[in-house]
Amino acid sequence: MALIEIENLSVTYHVGGRSIRAVEDVSLSVAARESYGLVGESGSGKSTILRAICGLAPVSGGRIRIAGAPVKTPRGKAFSRHVQMVFQDPYGSLHPRHTIDRTLAEPLAIHGIGDTDARVVRALDDVGLPPAFRFRYPHQLSGGQRQRVAIARALMLEPEILLLDEPTSALDASVQAETLNLLNRLRAEHGLTFLMVSHDLAVIDHMCDRVLVMQHGRAVEELSRAALAGAQMTTDYARTLFEASADRMLEV
Amino acid sequence: MTLLSVKDLHVSFRTEAGLVEAVRGVSFSLGRERLGIVGESGSGKTITGRSVLRLIRPPGRISAAEMTFDGIDLMGASEKQMRALRGQRIAMVMQDPKYSLNPVMKIGAQLTEGLRLRDRVGAAEARAKAIAALEAVHIRDPERVMEAYPHELSGGMGQRVMIAMMLIPNPDLLIADEPTSALDVTVQAEVLSILDNLVRSRGMGLIFISHDLRLVARFCDRVLVMFKGRVVEELEARHLMQARHPYTQGLLNCLPRIGGPRAPLPGLDRSADWARG
Repeated sequence: MALIEIENLSVTYHVGGRSIRAVEDVSLSVAARESYGLVGESGSGKSTILRAICGLAPVSGGRIRIAGAPVKTPRGKAFSRHVQMVFQDPYGSLHPRHTIDRTLAEPLAIHGIGDTDARVVRALDDVGLPPAFRFRYPHQLSGGQRQRVAIARALMLEPEILLLDEPTSALDASVQAETLNLLNRLRAEHGLTFLMVSHDLAVIDHMCDRVLVMQHGRAVEELSRAALAGAQMTTDYARTLFEASADRMLEV
Repeated sequence: MTLLSVKDLHVSFRTEAGLVEAVRGVSFSLGRERLGIVGESGSGKTITGRSVLRLIRPPGRISAAEMTFDGIDLMGASEKQMRALRGQRIAMVMQDPKYSLNPVMKIGAQLTEGLRLRDRVGAAEARAKAIAALEAVHIRDPERVMEAYPHELSGGMGQRVMIAMMLIPNPDLLIADEPTSALDVTVQAEVLSILDNLVRSRGMGLIFISHDLRLVARFCDRVLVMFKGRVVEELEARHLMQARHPYTQGLLNCLPRIGGPRAPLPGLDRSADWARG
């Protein structure tokens, strides 16, 4: 059975009397321990799907099921134990006036989980940060270190599903490599399921087993990793995206 | 022929935490060719680009053994001489159109402002020149864009407007600081090919600053790789894959590839001798 099932999802924003369809009739399913990618350009609706799963976007149609059960609105505490999200910009997603310790301990306090001290230290160790970072503030950390904290925060409640919204696009190439390696190691160690959004096909290819190409809020084409590597896409748009992908520039 | 020559450029900032040396002895020369400057954040690539126009604010300080543009000594030039160079002969395209265009001024007014005020061109002629510039960057309905405000344009359109604006005075040297980093890949390819055609057809010199080694390799003739304020390697773009320096090799190898192995990506070893000091 699939862990994440999305059926005919539509998201419509209402802005000043106009309605904007950000996502239209998208279906996908992700098996447990699978890593699934969403790729597309800005405005293609890829991030909106993640936000819709978390209840952060106005769903206007379709169904979202996690582990077979339809999600409740509002999502509630049980949902947060299963599903957590890592956002794109580590400069904006950490509270600037909370220490790392407070950021990591907050989910534990909300969910009434004890043993805070040991869990925070273990979480820092898990993402490869020294324990001394515990009492620092976000502005004292580099972008890559902040993203590690954001990943540690998402893992505090030991979820099965991580929603990753462009987790490395704000980072330098070498830091991106370290962060991707970290995510892959954590997925193996914790048996996580990833739903990952990126505009970079090469990153998605490195991280994911299957990928859904999106454009203008619609699903264009689903590709397996082998089909992507073998350039076996059938739609023009997926091919355009593939041709324009930066890593192909060295071949030319 | 050498258009720009920079020798032993240093840029330092006196901060509360002490002296920060952002650029430490960079030298290069540029003809009417396309030079790429690549590096990660904090490598000094943007500061190097801005130094050429002396656009470093205090407490930043520029010093150089030599910095000449077309026979003009940029270090010794007065502020008035620099103003005459900026835009007219050396133009700069910034990273993000969202922040670099005036949000409360129509595109048409922004494009013609320089022509009207600096060159004292008549309204009709300035407008015609602006429309021609928009057409040169492949904007389909320039009449509509002239009447639009920046927020009404997409990122790709905004970036093309900025390139059009820089090209109106027909500069000899264009400094493009991450001109496509804020754009989607398919738009990026389009903007780059426009830039490429313009640089070739007008015989301009181009300094292309980017964090993306792959992009620079495809787009430029020569590449400078910067790390911690120094140039660690200079090479022909087409020989990039034969890069010798461990930092350049590291930058190339740490990028994932479509169809590449699933093994952990090689990280950059920052502990080696070259990374210190």
